[in-house]
Amino acid sequence: MSATREIISTGNDLAAIAAVDAGCQFFAGYPITPSSEIMHTISDLLPAAGGTAIQMEDEIGSVAAAIGAGMSGVRTMTATSGPGISLKAENLGLAQMAEVPLVVVNVMRGGPSTGLPTRVSQGDVRQAKNPSHGDYRSITLCAGNLAECYTEVVRAFNLADRFMQPVFVLTDETIGHMHGKADIPTVEAVQAGIVPRKRFEGAPEEYRPYECGPTDAAVLNPMFEGYRYHFTGLHHDAKGFPTEEIETCRKLIQRLEDKVMAHRDEIELNEEFMMDDLTGEEGEVLIIAYGSVSLAAKEAIRHLRKDGIKAGLFRPITLWPSPAETIKKHTDKIKNVLCVELNIRQYTEEVERVSGRLDIEGLYKVNGRAISPYEIVNKVKEVF
Amino acid sequence: MAFNYDQYLRLEKMPTLWCWGCGDGVVLKSFIRAVNKLGLSQDEICVVSGIGCSGRFSSYLDFNTVHTTHGRTVAFATGIKLANPSKTVVCVAGDGDALAIGGNHTIHGCRRNIDITLIVIQNFIYGLTNSQTSPTTPQGMWTVSQKAGNIDPTFDGCKLAIAAGASFVGRENVTAPKKLEKLFVEAIKHRGFSYVEAMSNCHINFGRKNKMQSAMENLDWIDSITMPKKKYDELSPEEQLNLLPTGILKQDMEVREYCDMYEDIKAVHQGKRGVITQADFKKKI
Amino acid sequence: MAVMIAPENTPVWVNTARCKACDICVDACPAGVLSMKAEPSSTLGAMIDIVAPESCIGCNECELSCPDFAIYVADKKEFKFAKLTDSAKARQEAIMNNGYRLPLDYKEAN
Repeated sequence: MSATREIISTGNDLAAIAAVDAGCQFFAGYPITPSSEIMHTISDLLPAAGGTAIQMEDEIGSVAAAIGAGMSGVRTMTATSGPGISLKAENLGLAQMAEVPLVVVNVMRGGPSTGLPTRVSQGDVRQAKNPSHGDYRSITLCAGNLAECYTEVVRAFNLADRFMQPVFVLTDETIGHMHGKADIPTVEAVQAGIVPRKRFEGAPEEYRPYECGPTDAAVLNPMFEGYRYHFTGLHHDAKGFPTEEIETCRKLIQRLEDKVMAHRDEIELNEEFMMDDLTGEEGEVLIIAYGSVSLAAKEAIRHLRKDGIKAGLFRPITLWPSPAETIKKHTDKIKNVLCVELNIRQYTEEVERVSGRLDIEGLYKVNGRAISPYEIVNKVKEVF
Repeated sequence: MAFNYDQYLRLEKMPTLWCWGCGDGVVLKSFIRAVNKLGLSQDEICVVSGIGCSGRFSSYLDFNTVHTTHGRTVAFATGIKLANPSKTVVCVAGDGDALAIGGNHTIHGCRRNIDITLIVIQNFIYGLTNSQTSPTTPQGMWTVSQKAGNIDPTFDGCKLAIAAGASFVGRENVTAPKKLEKLFVEAIKHRGFSYVEAMSNCHINFGRKNKMQSAMENLDWIDSITMPKKKYDELSPEEQLNLLPTGILKQDMEVREYCDMYEDIKAVHQGKRGVITQADFKKKI
Repeated sequence: MAVMIAPENTPVWVNTARCKACDICVDACPAGVLSMKAEPSSTLGAMIDIVAPESCIGCNECELSCPDFAIYVADKKEFKFAKLTDSAKARQEAIMNNGYRLPLDYKEAN
């Protein structure tokens, strides 16, 4: 266990602090509830650390500026909420296609459309999987407590540079505005864990940024250092130039899929809470929840245990790609499975898909209010 | 020895994908000569293009090049420039790219006065997608989306840029490639946002359906609707109505550049100066 | 990678692999140096032809206005160009009046 420090802060502020500690040098954002505080805080922290934070003219401009900075070689981030992601979607597709690392924090609020701007939701889980058109694999992390607003942002920067693509960090209104104590790694520990993006060190004329193994990410050197190449959202060849050559196009899109899916073990992260004594006996309950809902689920499990119901929580921290084999292992063993979400079945459908079961119970809430532990307790007693 | 364009070109991409006689090529050549005249190294410059025929501009140049999404060139360039304030960043966009779908980014790039040169290749039409009305298509012209005749009023991109706060604004025709080159030199040299409109032909998708069959006829028409600023200024408003001025239309050396101003923000947060107040600015509202 | 090779003692030359036969250079020439000729293998069925190199005045207009990096003019310091003559102007007029092509039966004025 690396060294830690205690900090009293909010989820949104922790996300901003994490970015700067992880070496982020550029931030572009646009005001949107409930994520604005990330921009407020980072616009103080970044210039102090020699970086740049800018409020752009709109959500599209902010993601474009962030990707531009990422193309030039620096660690870069934007933060928004669901409506902002809808607007950023096209350029997130460009970042997937051109393989530009970027961290996108989405502090979820009620949707669709303007929805419930000041209320909590987990309605963007499905959107995070495929915000833009076309084939690519989303990497989406989901913070389940204050400390993870920090650690998952740090992890997102390292994953973005490792896989050369945007990485989502989902939080929500509850956790973004939650104020409390968080036990987080020291700056030194974070900096020691930074793995910068790969660089090509050979002769410029031999540089082929997009020529790599079938499950590798592109190797994009910083701009202005003698390695001149081309970024495009079009299907492109080894040097980044537009092409319609059949095999090149197929290989490129297949690689965007495989560079993530072949390395899921590097991305998967879960928490198993009070699951040690679940052996598959009759009457045991497995709750699957993520994000702020997991806090209520943990409390519910303590109550259920007092009432003699053996319950445990499986919490995916990496939502996409989903921890398919791990979920299946648990759902194969435990009969009573309850998914709890602040949306309607968005992750339940994934659990159904990977478990091959259609008897997964669910507790869903879409009125902008958090789920209380008692609602979960009552639901468990009602359905199992 | 003639001017050697080839040293700046990605030769394997030649010939260009543009139609025969397309003004985009003249803009590209004039830009290359300007870069050469300024003595800029190919590594020190980034060219950002959007979508449309002009979007291919960047792929022909052996610089750091970025081909972005439709209308977003200035926004991408803002990120590149702020992360690399000492480098030269040039955007290339068409009239639809810069003034329709990307209008907001153009306005705010001008307003911030960030040191980016935006070259707008203005050919009065959406050429790549086959002749739809653009914000600069004159009323009464034929477009494929308004076959009964275009009723949409136009606007003047240079006037927009001036009003939005760009500190350098200019316009030149592709029929005057030497002047265009000079305008590019001045625009790139200028520290601040430079909006440059290169008036160009699209005889294929604009001219052919508007009684300008060849590049030459289209170019003659462009010459007929433009006039050097000095002469233009002497005309009455009525005489100016159907003319567009060319040359440097605005150059303001006083107004501060955005990256320079951001250094003040850094200084405040690093405890090197007090907070920025209205007293720091001549213009208060 | 190929780079431009300037031929020796030549006022104006063409890279036919890049020329798209748009006629612009012929239109720009004041001295009747350039003409289009039939070329079945070209997309537009035509190709640039340097019909009177000895008349080239080195004004560079063709090179500057060529959108396709296809035509080049020698440096004034390296080549002694002609002065603009009336016969060159007449030839240019004949070319323009004949759809950018030098009439096959064209006879020089003097």
